[in-house]
Amino acid sequence: MSQASATNVKIEAHGLGGDRIARALIDNSVWVLLALGVIIFMYLSPRFFNPFNNIQVYFNIPMQASVMGVLTIGLAGTILLGDIDLSCVGMMAVSAASGVLIFKNFHIPGVLAYVIIVAVGTFLGFINGLLIAKLKTVALIETLAMNTALTGVVLAITRGRTITVSEPEYTWLGQSKAFGTIPYLVFILFFVYIIMHIVWRKTALGRSLYAVGGNARCARVSGINVDRTRIAAFTISGMCAGIAGIMLSSKMSSINSVFGQTYGMDIIAAAVIGGTSLQGGIGKVSGILGGVLLLNFIQVGLQVLGLDSYFVQMATGLIIMLAVVIDSLRIRFQARG
Amino acid sequence: MERETILEVRNATKTFGATKALVDVNFRVERGTIHSLVGRNGAGKSTLVNVIAGVIKADRGIVIFDGMDVSGMSLKERQSLGIRLVTQHASIVPDLDVAENISMGLWARNRLGMIDWKRMHERAREVMDEFGLDVDTRRSVRHLTPVDQRKVNIIRALFGGGKFIILDEPTTSLSSEDRDNLFEFVHRQAEKGITFILISHYLEEILRVSDEITTVRDGFVFSNLKGDANTHDKLARIIAGEDVELVSRDPDKPRATEPLLECREVSATFLKPTSTKVYKGEIVGYVGFPGSGAREICTMLYGLNKIQGGDVLVEGNPVNIRRAGDALKYGICYVPNDRHADGIVGIMPIDENIGLSILRGKLKSFFGLLNLDKERSIAASSVEMLKIKTSSTRALANSLSGGNQQKVVLAKVLACNPRLLILDEPTIGIDIKSREEIIGLIKDLTRDGMSVIYLTNDYDELLRIADRVVIFNDGSIVGEMENKNLTPETIIAIRDKNERVAAE
Repeated sequence: MSQASATNVKIEAHGLGGDRIARALIDNSVWVLLALGVIIFMYLSPRFFNPFNNIQVYFNIPMQASVMGVLTIGLAGTILLGDIDLSCVGMMAVSAASGVLIFKNFHIPGVLAYVIIVAVGTFLGFINGLLIAKLKTVALIETLAMNTALTGVVLAITRGRTITVSEPEYTWLGQSKAFGTIPYLVFILFFVYIIMHIVWRKTALGRSLYAVGGNARCARVSGINVDRTRIAAFTISGMCAGIAGIMLSSKMSSINSVFGQTYGMDIIAAAVIGGTSLQGGIGKVSGILGGVLLLNFIQVGLQVLGLDSYFVQMATGLIIMLAVVIDSLRIRFQARG
Repeated sequence: MERETILEVRNATKTFGATKALVDVNFRVERGTIHSLVGRNGAGKSTLVNVIAGVIKADRGIVIFDGMDVSGMSLKERQSLGIRLVTQHASIVPDLDVAENISMGLWARNRLGMIDWKRMHERAREVMDEFGLDVDTRRSVRHLTPVDQRKVNIIRALFGGGKFIILDEPTTSLSSEDRDNLFEFVHRQAEKGITFILISHYLEEILRVSDEITTVRDGFVFSNLKGDANTHDKLARIIAGEDVELVSRDPDKPRATEPLLECREVSATFLKPTSTKVYKGEIVGYVGFPGSGAREICTMLYGLNKIQGGDVLVEGNPVNIRRAGDALKYGICYVPNDRHADGIVGIMPIDENIGLSILRGKLKSFFGLLNLDKERSIAASSVEMLKIKTSSTRALANSLSGGNQQKVVLAKVLACNPRLLILDEPTIGIDIKSREEIIGLIKDLTRDGMSVIYLTNDYDELLRIADRVVIFNDGSIVGEMENKNLTPETIIAIRDKNERVAAE
């Protein structure tokens, strides 16, 4: 053990240029895969994917990815801790449903409805955090139960029907574009990611997330408030779910009983593809953005190529597998030096 | 008695990338001997035994065991020949009982292919008697004493047909009596013809127990020395490749009189109501077994062990310490006993590890952001001051050797500018050179007024460095005295007499 470690250090010192490039490529493998995907699709369907013929598709993908992206980054914070939040979709649906119902029944301003939605999501996330940090429930099961309960709440509210909300006062955010070109949702996506990048890399909370995920006992001994860090991560996840709830409901102009449920597994996949380790302690915001874009790009691309939706799901599974293999290669690469 | 070679390594070379872990090593072990390997962390000891056991393959060279070239054989094939690598933690399952552990993979089975529990326990009992270990084979290993756990680990290897046993750091975190006890056990097995390779940092014991000693340094192996002909210092020099000066306290250091910290009738789990003081600028050595109260009072002062009664005063003011974060506010810092579990975040870079305890202290900047430049500069100066061997402060803490990892832990707590530094066995598993560097640094820091609680069961180290000694047994202080004319024997006597010896 100590032998291999000593080796590691020395290699870095004498590291060859090629080694460094290989390391950089493996560290950013998701962006490499994305570039590869773009090239392959450009070859398969030049009419559609050549940016000179059809730049629109490259604007569409971030738009497609926006809701999922905001959900994913909230979830990723809990994965970084070594936990997981399976209730993202449920929190999104319940917060959006409560906001939309209050908006429709009490005729409040749209912006106030947005605030309510974010508040409900944040509160639900806080409850998750409290149960997990203070009562030491297992995050996997606790959030699974929470999600089941919340899905039930949405079913009860909607009674299986679709609640439409077509007032422009509410839907402008999901359906308008800034300067007539870039959808607001894309702005929100990038805004959330920039904020989260700063939180993860440059704040005490972010550093605490990495420390707790990397070694919770050491974090505690180092004076980090582990419980508070946990609560914060789950609360942020709830907040992101609330934001995503606004985005999706205003984009779709409606809420229904299966609101957002297609995201359930995809968000975990995107986080993992983006290099977030399920063991905790490893991950970066740029990688997660790459994971979200890659997954959406492939899904859009395969649909454009005319592939059956069943195959799209299969392809998604294969990409996740590829990501996991790359992840284990990365660990081996590091162990080798 | 005529010795016969059981194992020979010829011209073994192994490189990892640009590092030469073994350089043309020739090494020979005789049957029925205890052959010790000593050297610094990362010197090549582990590589050598891994090559012997078949965990890794050498780039060049051969391994001959019992007259047979085993170089091409796998780990499993070599195991079947009787070569066993017994590491510290591996291979014991704490929640299984003794019999299950030693017969793991070799379970006695009945006609239906099910495990024959009765026969398994009978056999385990016989084995225990044969090897002279008196424990209940139905107890789970978790409940055995640490030394008995180590013995079970070794017996497991012997029971499985091991006749050439490699013990990698078998005595880590054992008290010195337990170490003697374990070595005596090993010695008995050696007399029956079992051969041992022993890796350890405890030179005194190695000198006493070994038939031969081989030093490893930077991948080179140095002449086999007979166990009895060497002095401690000579061996230390060979290991380090240079003169290592053992750090000692200044004999004319004035007695500290101004108290920094006072405990009044404090109690906690395993700690009966206890009163004691720590003075400014002193190094007070705490001695005691696990469960004796020594560690418990340390973790309690740092907020990791809940205080159940009594008061803690810092400079005369009562303080309420419920979490580590509270302790840090009062300048109380703690270097934990188990650095892998509690000390470092392995997958984090060195500089971020060093910054962990000052995230909400020194590193705080505007809008809740961290001052990352400051973190980098603190890390860079600690790496220089503590002589942490690394290519970059951005390297992962995992990539460092044990001694250097411990220095990172030390850098982390020193970044908080401690007034009271609590060290919980800080030199375990660390090579001599790093150890003396760490002790020397601690000594220097007390000159600037820092106080130190030094918890250790290494009496040699304790008596070299401590200004005062506090001895714990069974949850109470049983002795508190100046470090004058003390010997390990007197400390043991006081500890076991279990009578309070008046201070001064």
